[in-house]
Amino acid sequence: MNLEELKKLKEKAQRQVALREGSKKYRVVVSMGTSGIAAGAREVMKTMLDEIEKRGLEDVEVRVTGEVGLEDVEPVIRVEEASGEKTTYARLDAEKAKKIVAEHLEKGKKVDNLAVGKEKKPE
Amino acid sequence: MFEELSLHILDIAMNSLAAGARTIQITITEHARRDWLTLRLQDDGRGMDADTLRRVLADLTTTKHSRKKDIGLGLALLRQTAEMCDGKFHVRSKAGAGATVTASLKLSHVDCPPLGDLNATILALCAANPAVDVQLHYLSDKEQFHFSSKEPAEKKVASRPEQISSGEEKTNYEPGRAKKVKRKSTAAGCLA
Repeated sequence: MNLEELKKLKEKAQRQVALREGSKKYRVVVSMGTSGIAAGAREVMKTMLDEIEKRGLEDVEVRVTGEVGLEDVEPVIRVEEASGEKTTYARLDAEKAKKIVAEHLEKGKKVDNLAVGKEKKPE
Repeated sequence: MFEELSLHILDIAMNSLAAGARTIQITITEHARRDWLTLRLQDDGRGMDADTLRRVLADLTTTKHSRKKDIGLGLALLRQTAEMCDGKFHVRSKAGAGATVTASLKLSHVDCPPLGDLNATILALCAANPAVDVQLHYLSDKEQFHFSSKEPAEKKVASRPEQISSGEEKTNYEPGRAKKVKRKSTAAGCLA
């Protein structure tokens, strides 16, 4: 346990809080249930937060939710746009998370090969 | 199975969020001299009645069947980790009166997971719901650290921090902390 690291946490948390003000163009919801956490959702979320900060994207907020019923393809995130459009990305890791930030959240281009279930209809 | 204790913390704290908690207190006491590590998560959510509590604490297989919104494998996993490390696990809750989860582990146990990336856990919790006050109290033989997402000003408190008082019970920050988690394996802890 590193006390110094914990101290850094404070500033970071503060910045996160500041980022939450106002309504955003994009809302990223990370599935953070037990299965999500076990699959690495926390690392995905951390990477996204870091990446969003690094790129200075201010129109994005990151939230978490419980299980979303996609336990077998965790870690799962959902990107919700102000227009109401929702995209679900699954089987993520840090690299893929970075890609989503760079493509979808920055340039507005969906990362199709990571997305799952386009408005899934029962088969 | 989680490889870090901080993942357990995140998982249990997510339950608190689901229970509508406004304050989540995470207390980690690392007591190297007594060879104990104690995790304590206390929230002021809606709590559980005796029936629900019994179901939550039932063994791994049954928890899954009786799963409800705020019930999952999380508690069972933490219990498993604690018991695997010669530790103890305890949940106390009343309907409408929040919940307290306490797990203690033997630090030197070969299966004792590392604390891991606690920062990522706290950040995730802070981002989860800005309205919730996430508090972290880390205490060890040598140092203390207190954090609250509501007032990020650091509190370097030499004595016991009295400002955390939302719970019905005060945390004992003294070396005698291990008393709280006595029962069977106290002997093992004290011998070390």
